[in-house]
Amino acid sequence: MTPKSYTDVSDQQVVVFAQEGREDAYRELIKRYERPVFSLIYRMVRDNETAEDLAQETFIKVLNNIDRYRPEFKFSSWLFKIANNITIDHLRRRQVDTISIEGAPDAITAERARATAVTVTSGGESPLEELESRELGASIEKAIARLRPEYRACIILRHVEDYSYDEIAEIVKLPLGTVKTYIHRARQELREYLGDLR
Amino acid sequence: MIEHDFDEDFVPIAAELQRLPYMSPSRGFADRVISGIDRLQPARVAPVLASRHLELHQGGQQAVVPRRRMGVVRATGRAAVGVSLIAAAAFMFFEVDVLTAILAAASTQYAFAIAAFGAQVGAVVLGPETIAFLQAGALQAVLLYMTLAVGLFGGYAAIRTAAHIAKRKAA
Repeated sequence: MTPKSYTDVSDQQVVVFAQEGREDAYRELIKRYERPVFSLIYRMVRDNETAEDLAQETFIKVLNNIDRYRPEFKFSSWLFKIANNITIDHLRRRQVDTISIEGAPDAITAERARATAVTVTSGGESPLEELESRELGASIEKAIARLRPEYRACIILRHVEDYSYDEIAEIVKLPLGTVKTYIHRARQELREYLGDLR
Repeated sequence: MIEHDFDEDFVPIAAELQRLPYMSPSRGFADRVISGIDRLQPARVAPVLASRHLELHQGGQQAVVPRRRMGVVRATGRAAVGVSLIAAAAFMFFEVDVLTAILAAASTQYAFAIAAFGAQVGAVVLGPETIAFLQAGALQAVLLYMTLAVGLFGGYAAIRTAAHIAKRKAA
């Protein structure tokens, strides 16, 4: 079977086509997950160029090893697992634990700070709603940026990507209890940072 | 939506987390990723229409096109060096006259040149798959040629040496 469109094709099926060497299947997988993967990595490293490099490395690693994918797992879980590993390795190498919403910690010029600062977009709202939404979104982004990288990954996977605790434990390669603890602590810290929202 | 497993005071924060927008990488991200995927590179150099031929085509490309020219050039170069060394050794130890050595070496190298030219013509006439099959024995063929060359020079040198010794004894 050679689909003209992958719209209704499951990830597993697209992976099978990719394993056959079909470039359009590779592109479909990239199209489906480039934004979630880039967003996760960006929220962890808070630097556009770095996030893009790491996202690119993630996809290349995953797609070059597509034959090793085991269909009993969700493709997205495998992808996020690789993305998380690559990002954590990067953060450990760079020792970047605290980051600023105003820009990356290594942003030494105003231009660089603007390039690495968080921008939150919204759509379909009135100017006032959009302003409020931007403020809330920016506050959340700021609060996430203050979390430890391990907490960041867990809270994003839980609340942005809707993964279960078990899936998160598999993705971040941590015991289930540790994941629950991380998410509990991340929520506590977010509550403290975002007290004004309540 | 995930199940509600947190306190009520976290609900608005959870809602905001759910509303966080996805961010996009820059344009051309997919192309850059694709350019980094090894198994897709040969197909992009020479695209094929039918996917079921892709693997064969890629295999053929990898086995034949990049290695064919390099293999022939390398084999010819090594043969030339080998023959030159043998000729030099024969000249030094067995006093084979220079003209004979050069002519013998040149004729041997000419055989490799014919082989290289034949491989190029064969690639055009027979197609890359056939040539890939034929070239599977290319290394054996080179070894055979080398053995023949060594045997030829060795035999020739032995005959010349024997003749030389006989001539000295006669003198």
